[in-house]
Amino acid sequence: MPFLGTALNGAGLIFLTHAVYSTHEHSVAFAASPVPLDITIELLLSIFLLSAGIVLSSPDFKPIQWAQWSGKISRETRKGEGQWTREGEEFLSEGDPYAFLGLDGGIGGKSEGRRGFWDVRAKRKEYEEWVKSGGQS
Amino acid sequence: MAQANLLSPPSSIPPATALQLSQKAPPIISSSPTSSLPWPLSLLFSSETPESWTINENLLLSCLRTGDDKSARILLERLSQRFGDSNERVITLRGVYEEALAKNNSELEQVFKRYEDILKDDPTNFTVRKRRVAVLKSLGRIQDAITALTVLLDYSPTDAESWAELSELYARVGEWSKAIFALEEVLLVYPNAWSAHAQVATLHYLSTQSSSSPSLPALSLALKHFSRSIELNESYLRGYYGLKLVTKKLIPILSDSSSVKRSNGDEEVQPPKLQTVKKLEELATTKLAEIVRQYGAGKKGWAGFAEAEVIAARELLDRDGKIER
Repeated sequence: MPFLGTALNGAGLIFLTHAVYSTHEHSVAFAASPVPLDITIELLLSIFLLSAGIVLSSPDFKPIQWAQWSGKISRETRKGEGQWTREGEEFLSEGDPYAFLGLDGGIGGKSEGRRGFWDVRAKRKEYEEWVKSGGQS
Repeated sequence: MAQANLLSPPSSIPPATALQLSQKAPPIISSSPTSSLPWPLSLLFSSETPESWTINENLLLSCLRTGDDKSARILLERLSQRFGDSNERVITLRGVYEEALAKNNSELEQVFKRYEDILKDDPTNFTVRKRRVAVLKSLGRIQDAITALTVLLDYSPTDAESWAELSELYARVGEWSKAIFALEEVLLVYPNAWSAHAQVATLHYLSTQSSSSPSLPALSLALKHFSRSIELNESYLRGYYGLKLVTKKLIPILSDSSSVKRSNGDEEVQPPKLQTVKKLEELATTKLAEIVRQYGAGKKGWAGFAEAEVIAARELLDRDGKIER
């Protein structure tokens, strides 16, 4: 679909440019007579092609219902969006906005917990034990 | 498997991911985001972006976790050079650094005393107050941590993060009703947080586990909150899982009409209708089965679930299937 959209956009732009150029030439040569029909048709066609191309090449709609939007977040992994910071970290798509509450691990779970209360010593110990046990996940 | 990302780190970081994250340290440390030129030029030639410092901070934390204290020191110095030693966040990060380097409990007590001194100078530094709670937790003094947190929440009652932490601490010592209260405060601030609804429901459910006979009001509330969480998130595995557990407990109780009547007397919570509960159970089963199937098939749009959770869901479904057969 993106290929078709781009092709339509390209053709539409060429027709539009051509139609505009023709109109200009016509108005210079025959200032008194009206614009001929073929130029008008070409202009309308180019506009039609461009509109169709823009609609086809636009990205998918985002869900506007809360449950669908949040469901999409929890179904899909966070993808890169093709942009990187200077440090080489990619910008990711939207994630769970309530992750900072640290409630997803359940009670006594193994999640990161809340940022402000991060237990650095426990995490360090967990890592040390992991290294001692041979680094197996 | 997605690459570990320092800009938006995942919500649970197993040791292998932590190692990956901290291995990104050398290139980031070698190039400073601030410019070394004198003042007016440094403004023009700085390569800082809004994300630079988030990355530096996250890197500092993962270096501390993997014991790369030298890199952590450099990053900490960099942050305090940029934002000043008296910046609240820098003070907190320095505190985390000292906590990580504390070898035993007495050294940790020293860090704790330093926090007290900081708070004497500036009682409004909430991040340090939170660190204080974290240290108490790390020392195993849960009751003291709870007291410190309640003081913090007296000053700042809309701090949802602290309420969530308080709820977890209460749950850890088995004070279910207080844990539920604290989490309901979180719901007041974020009524749309599906994870908070699921957590309240879990607490209600767990509170019934400790008593010998399952209480109908608590289970009804658990059912309500689990239903709310899946209403807010149509693919919330934990919500469906909990819903299935609760409905499986509720159906025999509701089928036994005498127990319904007994508890119906002066309770505030209306027990749900048996039919509704059965329908919800069906919904949970189909949704769980769908998630397990799609995840197992490796469908592209379904890879966001945690593997352990999907395995647990499959086991729950298998157990259920055996009973029915």
